[in-house]
Amino acid sequence: MSSDPWIWIGAILTLMIFSFLYKDNPFYKFGEHLFVGVANGYYIVFYWHNALKPNLFEPLGAGEFIYIVPLLLGLMYFTRFIPKVSWLVRIPIGFMIGWGAGLSIPAYFQAEVLRQLEGTVVTPSSFANPMSGVWSLIILIGVITTLIYFFFSKEHKGILGHASRLGIIFIMIGFGASFGYTVMARVSLLIGRVQFLLGPWLGLID
Amino acid sequence: MRWYDRITKIDRRIIYLLLTSLVILPFFLKITIPQNIMPQTKRLFDFIESIPPNDKAVMISFDYTPQTQPECHPMAKSLLKQCFSRGIPVIGLSFDPQAPGLAVDALTSTVREFDSLATNKEDSLVYGIDYVYLGWKSGRIAAQLDMGESIAGVFPRDYFGTSIDSFPLMDKVKNYKNVAIVVVLASADYPLDWIRYPQTRYGVNVGAGLTAVMAPKYYPFIQTGQMSGLMSGMKGAAEYEKLVLEHGYARTLGTAETGMNSQSMIHILIMIFILLGNVGYFFSRRSKKGMK
Repeated sequence: MSSDPWIWIGAILTLMIFSFLYKDNPFYKFGEHLFVGVANGYYIVFYWHNALKPNLFEPLGAGEFIYIVPLLLGLMYFTRFIPKVSWLVRIPIGFMIGWGAGLSIPAYFQAEVLRQLEGTVVTPSSFANPMSGVWSLIILIGVITTLIYFFFSKEHKGILGHASRLGIIFIMIGFGASFGYTVMARVSLLIGRVQFLLGPWLGLID
Repeated sequence: MRWYDRITKIDRRIIYLLLTSLVILPFFLKITIPQNIMPQTKRLFDFIESIPPNDKAVMISFDYTPQTQPECHPMAKSLLKQCFSRGIPVIGLSFDPQAPGLAVDALTSTVREFDSLATNKEDSLVYGIDYVYLGWKSGRIAAQLDMGESIAGVFPRDYFGTSIDSFPLMDKVKNYKNVAIVVVLASADYPLDWIRYPQTRYGVNVGAGLTAVMAPKYYPFIQTGQMSGLMSGMKGAAEYEKLVLEHGYARTLGTAETGMNSQSMIHILIMIFILLGNVGYFFSRRSKKGMK
């Protein structure tokens, strides 16, 4: 069993959080509130030392007065708490939306629309390996039928109805894969905690 | 209560107890369930294998958080072991505020393990020559784009406050031209930014090690070639550990491989519960229809 007090604190807090699985209780509440407090404290200290101080206050202190512009833009966010001047908040929000849209729209189209379209197109080279050709066809059918499922301008009857029903199957396979992976992710977290309790804390496993 | 009603109303505490027991048991019974290596994991491994020693660097973006440590930390350690064993320089950095502590832990523990096996001074790893950790930076999109021009311009100092101009490694690695691949180990959508910006603009090779919950979203990027490989969750980490062990870059398997035995047992249990739930639902619906 560990003699490190930090390991003991970690183990006891883990058990406090797990106690919720039986039912809500004061130990769980204590663990939860402590986590929220510590996380907030961590973020405040972290951003002060790694963002605000080096990126704003130190350059300002060194006489680089251009940094007054981002300082003012940042402070304008707080004007929403003062009703008389709350309209000023639109300036930094407008700046952020303009910057964000300008930067992300072309990149999004390039990386997530055009390249994905390219990947969906089936060409003779897709059949260089017969199996990859089959998979390319499945991807193409999956994309088209899924898009048809979300096409609401025409009633889903006849060919459109069959295609949209096939689209639902592809969507369900996608949901199934996502659910399976989500289960795996959540179980991994439990395994990680159990490894910590059995290993570093109790010393029962390597 | 009929049997089919009973199996759809199992007390959740019984389910939790069974889950916990099945997580714990494989550690003591030494059960080994074989794991197949998925093509996307092998692809990432092979890509790193193809990088010549002492040439271009591997940039690792440590962007995972303590709660996802069981999935991403073993990935980081295996990746570092492969790079260090093959003489590939490593540059670490982070954009997630919770990641620096974990990044330093992964680097120091792997370096310590590596150095303990070194027979002479030349075999041991030197900070600033073999690896560097640049630390955390705010404004990640701007930072990612600016590193295409100059890494030193974005990170003038490393995590420990030392000027990066003083590191011999950073004399060789000026921007993405000197980086063979960026591997993003993340528990949030950080790889998407690497794909959208540096990959699209500079053609940087991007690989990733992600939590399982995120993995399905990234499969289309593998298919289009925008990503050079992917480790998916604890399974991906276990597969990479296995590959690293098979190639002689590690002496033992890591925590992911041992955890996967529990993972497989839990999956079987969940499948049984899903089947029981469906059977119960089917029979109770049929009985209700019969009563009508």
